[in-house]
Amino acid sequence: MTDSKPLTGGGLLFKVLEQHGVNHVFGYPGGAIMPIYDALVDSNVQHFLCRHEQGASFSAVGYARASGKIGVCMATSGPGATNLITGLADALADSIPMVAITGQVPTAAMGSDAFQETDIFGLSIACTKHSFQVSHVDELEKVLHQAFEIALEGRQGPVLVDIPKDVQTASVKQTFAAAEHLKNKVKLPLADISKALDLLTHAKQPILYVGGGVGMANAVDEVREFANKTGIPSVSTLKGLGALDTDNENYLGMLGMHGTKAANLAVHDCDLLIAVGARFDDRVTGKLDQFAPDAKVIHFDIDTAEINKRRAADAPILGDLKENLPLLTMSLNIKGWQAKIQQMKSDYSWRYDHPGENIFAPAVLKEVSELMPKNTCVTTDVGQHQMWAAQHINFDDPSNFLTSGSMGTMGFGLPAAIGAQISRPHDTVIAVSGDGSIMMNVQELATIKRYQIPVKIVLIDNAKLGMVRQWQDLFFDGRLSETDLSDNPDFCMLAQAFEIKAKQITKKSEVTAAINDMLDHDGPYLLQVKIDAKDNVWPLVPPNSANNEMMESA
Amino acid sequence: MNTATLNNYTLIIMTDDKQVVLERILQVTRYRGFLINGMTAKVNTGNNIATIELFVSSERPISLLTDQINKLVDIKSVKVDNNASMQNTA
Repeated sequence: MTDSKPLTGGGLLFKVLEQHGVNHVFGYPGGAIMPIYDALVDSNVQHFLCRHEQGASFSAVGYARASGKIGVCMATSGPGATNLITGLADALADSIPMVAITGQVPTAAMGSDAFQETDIFGLSIACTKHSFQVSHVDELEKVLHQAFEIALEGRQGPVLVDIPKDVQTASVKQTFAAAEHLKNKVKLPLADISKALDLLTHAKQPILYVGGGVGMANAVDEVREFANKTGIPSVSTLKGLGALDTDNENYLGMLGMHGTKAANLAVHDCDLLIAVGARFDDRVTGKLDQFAPDAKVIHFDIDTAEINKRRAADAPILGDLKENLPLLTMSLNIKGWQAKIQQMKSDYSWRYDHPGENIFAPAVLKEVSELMPKNTCVTTDVGQHQMWAAQHINFDDPSNFLTSGSMGTMGFGLPAAIGAQISRPHDTVIAVSGDGSIMMNVQELATIKRYQIPVKIVLIDNAKLGMVRQWQDLFFDGRLSETDLSDNPDFCMLAQAFEIKAKQITKKSEVTAAINDMLDHDGPYLLQVKIDAKDNVWPLVPPNSANNEMMESA
Repeated sequence: MNTATLNNYTLIIMTDDKQVVLERILQVTRYRGFLINGMTAKVNTGNNIATIELFVSSERPISLLTDQINKLVDIKSVKVDNNASMQNTA
């Protein structure tokens, strides 16, 4: 911003973003946000033009999850704003800190059904942690600071700031006033750990149940220390993957609908469940009243509303996990239970034998896991490939596995990988996708081309909406309905149209060389892995069943 | 909800008089499974604090709702008025 040009609302936005250390934003311009895009030209913030606002929102989510920093996305009014909604809902459901900026028609036109006017403020109520509409430029600076504070405070989440066009163009002075802190934060009681200590010392068969809150609380070290020192066998939710040390002999992998047999049986048999940053989601618990039916529960969480929501806690511990978990870290004598756990882990370990020449997706992902460089960040879309990635890739930190957990949003993986790569330019980023999911935000291949983002895409292709097809076969008498995708485009040709190197493989013998070729390539790469359309994800806890009632074959 | 036992509750909510706070409370109440049977709302223009009395019913425990309303940024307090709350069978 030159001195001769007076500061406007749009210019102030970027000054506040810079104050909060924001270097990168994702967005798409349009009529009602033009003054902000005009101010962008003079700012030090780098903007990435995505090719759909939903792509921008997921790139912001991927950026936040991979880096631990806040993600920022921008869109114009009307359709631009509504296109952000899926990303906002995803960020709310997975507790991801994000600030979304939307342009709005001028205040005088608001409420008149103006061109590209939609009530995004009203629409945001159910899909954000909080939202603001700025009615005067003098409020803008304070509102933006509050948006950052709210997004990052407590249980993190997305905040939307809707800025009418006349507010963007109005002259304003930056006050640099310290942000007014939130007055009405939920007060957490001091953690009472005495009951938890009593439960822990009397438990004979405890299980540590780890969720996505661990990474968000920055408490990976504390959780690993707790697991090591107590020797308590551990399981992870989808979003908790990476929090636990996968080499720990008492770690059983993911639990729940597509969890490991050992994890689900161990949880079913446990007498004490220590939930850390986890919320007893229905995909984790299966039939709720039969989930860990004989267990007492210690529940660590930052969100009061999660305590007793789906499972009563015998000892709730609210607050910062990083401070509270060490209070329970002690040596325990549970050798008999550990021996049983280790036996189950050995008895039910993954098998990769698969007849014929067709490629077996779990074996591909296991090999990706073995060959990828340390600190590789993997994103996924949603469906069979997502569950296979969760089962067969080992992650060393939650920030290295980005998947749409709660919302299960197809189309997440590609734009999230773009955001992750921009936040961590020196790490390898791999998007594991499916032939259904990739088409949901396929336009982001253009973003990859434009910025030469070296994302590696592993496309698991069965020419089906595989997970829905699997359920139709298992639970709808094999009546296949709208799950055939045999008329997919030529994915390699599609990638090459965006100047992305691409290769298709169809046989087991091609797998290792293809993965190495992909990882050795400096730029973006799409590896299309053709698999048998009939391959299913196992094990599977059927709907309305207890987790010990897993199916292991059709 | 033909045979479910509905419990009636009266909530007293104190909130900063901010944009769309009433819509947020009503959205959370509906989404979390509570029927709204009535309400009164008044703003004290001196301190810009609104007092909302919300009459709700549900088969779910009231803590599920109060915990969620409490999380709304502008809320100052949520109390269940035990004298006014009662149980009946719908």
